[in-house]
Amino acid sequence: MALLEVRRLTKRFAGLTANNSIDLDVPEGCLFAVIGPNGAGKTTFFNMISGFMPPTDGTIAFAGETITGLRQDRIAAKGLVRTFQLVQLFKGLTVAENVEVGFHLATRGGVAAALARPSWFRRQEADVHARARELLGFVGLAGVADQDAELLPYGQQRLLEVARALAAKPRLLLLDEPAAGLNAHETDALAEVVQELNRKGTTVLLIEHDMALVTRIAHRIAVLDFGCKIAEGTPDEIKRHPDVIAAYLGTEEAAHA
Amino acid sequence: MTSHASTSTSPVRRGAPGWLGRTGYVGLGGAVLIALLFGFVFVKGGYLLTVMQLAMIYGVFCVGLNFFMGYTGQASFGQNAFAAIGGYGSAILCVEYGLPPVLALLVAMAIAGVAAVVVGWPTLRLRGHYLAMATFALGLITYDVSVQWESLTKGYMGYAGIPPLGIGPFEVEDERAKLVCLMVILVFGLWVSGRLRNSRFGRALRAISTSEPGAAALGIRIPYYKLAAFVIAALYASVAGSLFAHVVGFISPEVFGLQMVVVTFTMLYVGGIGTVLGPAIGAIVASLLPEIVRSTGRFQDIAYALLLLGLLVYAPKGLSALSGLGRPRAAEPKPGS
Amino acid sequence: MPSLVELVQSLVNGVGIGLVYGLIAIGFCVIYNASGIVNFAQGVFVMLGGMFTHAMLIKLGWPLAVSALVSIVAVAGIGVLVQLAIVRPMWNRKAPLFAIILATLAVQLLIEQIVILTMGDQPRTYPDFTPGGPLKIGDIAISYQLFWILGCGALMVLLLTLFFNRTRAGRALRACSQNREAAALLGVPVDAMLMLSFALSAALGAAAGILITPTQYTAYGVGAPFGTNGFIAAIIGGFGSAPAALLGGVLLGVVQSGAIVVVGAGYKNVVALTILLVVLLFFPQGIFGGRGKKA
Repeated sequence: MALLEVRRLTKRFAGLTANNSIDLDVPEGCLFAVIGPNGAGKTTFFNMISGFMPPTDGTIAFAGETITGLRQDRIAAKGLVRTFQLVQLFKGLTVAENVEVGFHLATRGGVAAALARPSWFRRQEADVHARARELLGFVGLAGVADQDAELLPYGQQRLLEVARALAAKPRLLLLDEPAAGLNAHETDALAEVVQELNRKGTTVLLIEHDMALVTRIAHRIAVLDFGCKIAEGTPDEIKRHPDVIAAYLGTEEAAHA
Repeated sequence: MTSHASTSTSPVRRGAPGWLGRTGYVGLGGAVLIALLFGFVFVKGGYLLTVMQLAMIYGVFCVGLNFFMGYTGQASFGQNAFAAIGGYGSAILCVEYGLPPVLALLVAMAIAGVAAVVVGWPTLRLRGHYLAMATFALGLITYDVSVQWESLTKGYMGYAGIPPLGIGPFEVEDERAKLVCLMVILVFGLWVSGRLRNSRFGRALRAISTSEPGAAALGIRIPYYKLAAFVIAALYASVAGSLFAHVVGFISPEVFGLQMVVVTFTMLYVGGIGTVLGPAIGAIVASLLPEIVRSTGRFQDIAYALLLLGLLVYAPKGLSALSGLGRPRAAEPKPGS
Repeated sequence: MPSLVELVQSLVNGVGIGLVYGLIAIGFCVIYNASGIVNFAQGVFVMLGGMFTHAMLIKLGWPLAVSALVSIVAVAGIGVLVQLAIVRPMWNRKAPLFAIILATLAVQLLIEQIVILTMGDQPRTYPDFTPGGPLKIGDIAISYQLFWILGCGALMVLLLTLFFNRTRAGRALRACSQNREAAALLGVPVDAMLMLSFALSAALGAAAGILITPTQYTAYGVGAPFGTNGFIAAIIGGFGSAPAALLGGVLLGVVQSGAIVVVGAGYKNVVALTILLVVLLFFPQGIFGGRGKKA
């Protein structure tokens, strides 16, 4: 049984079918990529899986449990955590605090605990604080932990978002175009982080239109075009697939982006 | 002070984050100035004592409002409704039912809290103009009810003869003692605010204020946290209302009217939205400003309205951004986006 | 239980006040559609219309038509002033929504306090436009003023429709409401349109205030309730067309005066605001749909 099982997932907006009956299985431990030209329906696909948008039809099962139509925070609580194409940092917070928010699900305590600060709560806060710094070290941001998050350069903002998502201890991490807008150097840093966290046991599903990056790091790739899945296979299979080549030749700039 | 300060492995933080903003030392200077001012007022006595008393009461209200507006980034133009519940609750419970003031204050707080849950649960699903208008309507409804329900509130004429604060046989009647008492309550309110802000709870609120999608994706239950912030703000407002009733001894619907909304927002803007101490500093500074120009009554409301408009138009980030007195930590609330 | 006569009478009264709410609602829509701003100070225009007219008609002894016209122009001028001094700089800076709302609230307080200082805080009224009445149909009394409200309301909606469809400025304003950026690119002076929308909406509010004052009273504080009632009417109408807003107003007016028969006149605003909360929660797109543009 795959960790994520998507069946006949469909989204129709007024007159437009953004996702047309997509089936997808993401096995545990896999680094899975969904690629496709701009407007192929990748983000819609992600939004449905992560609960940001209800599907018109179809089902999504995570670890054997149906999660179709659940609220975002419930889905996150089940271990399915996402990042965003447009970075969603918490701008008023420091870099370290951003990651500390990521530990929300892994910790407990509300108003009463925050006021009374019993020993377990103090330990937990200290623990969160230390582990946030560990995670920042993992993505290479330890040096800027106390800066305001909004002052980070763009590439580091993306890394911070990944670190924050990792704090939530995802079983499946959804990365929405993590390399968008990054230069070659930043992309390499990010690719390394993603591969490393995958090696440590986190299943990854990423959306990308940077073919070069995806074929380098992904174990398995699915290709969307005009809302339909047109191919799925290993990177080598995908690179040779005639439909994929056709789809990408039609949008050359996307392939080079 | 904060949980962060307890882990010595971390590099030194600039200033005291959150409590005053990035330029913490300038803020500290401001706090010292305020302490000096406090001493001056305390020694000199007279009318300024009353002004400071009201500043403390408004401070309590603003610290609460800051939970919802500052930390969580949501708009409410109707927190005066909960101050009215506190004020009338305390007055009626003390005068009609003979409850001791402290108990009356607590009961009124509970009523305000329940009201906030009942009203907030459906209302907070709204966004933008709708949320703004719905909260504004709460204030108007409360105003009308306090005018109309004469058998309970004595209507336009107001409620007089409310006993001063006190526990058992001890009543706080001396003006200086009142001020100290209010100051202690305000400091306690600030302590709660700071402690909550720098905790799992406060981080969740502040996350919501800048990115709801980001917060939801990390498993934060947004409706729950918004409601919690709303209720906390209502509790503070209720306490402020009760304190006003006991300290001044008289309340009327006008006390909790539109001017309360405008005055408290002016204070928040002056002090810096989203910081811990900002609301209290703003309340003190903004209370003293009209005294400097020696204006009273109607002119005072006009002065507040003009000051707020000036700030909104010419210093949108708050006066604090100009003076460096505690920069707003959270981005400006964008309830509509 | 209220009698049938009472109910029908309240229905008649409700139509009158409802039309006034409708006019205020149109004022909300005009500004909102041109700029995306909800002007929370809309009610003060209503209050000023009544106060100014009272001052000229009663204190100065001017003829009614002159007083009304001068009032409308003066209030429109105040609307323009508010727009120039406060709304425009914030709008151009793309200030957050809540800051603009707060600013309009502060304007409301400011104007109210200035009115108290210069004209006092006592409620005042002036007689119906046509003396005599009311018209009796069986046990139902219809005041002549209601016909004035009906007539003027219909006339204003007609003029507005003509303005929006037949004049250059009106069409430009409509273009702004549909797509501000595109309108600006096509050379529509967007700033001037914002000013025009404030002038129009202030004039509409003033007219509403002038029409309604004889049936009740005006005072410095009537702005907020009138403003919120107008907003509720606009929501019921869906923030779309002028007729829908007018219809929303009438619906609100009728329900409100029906409820007054049951709970007493003092609670009429409480009733209206409760209706607002119910509408917001269950029909966030408005009851009559309109263009369904979200506020």
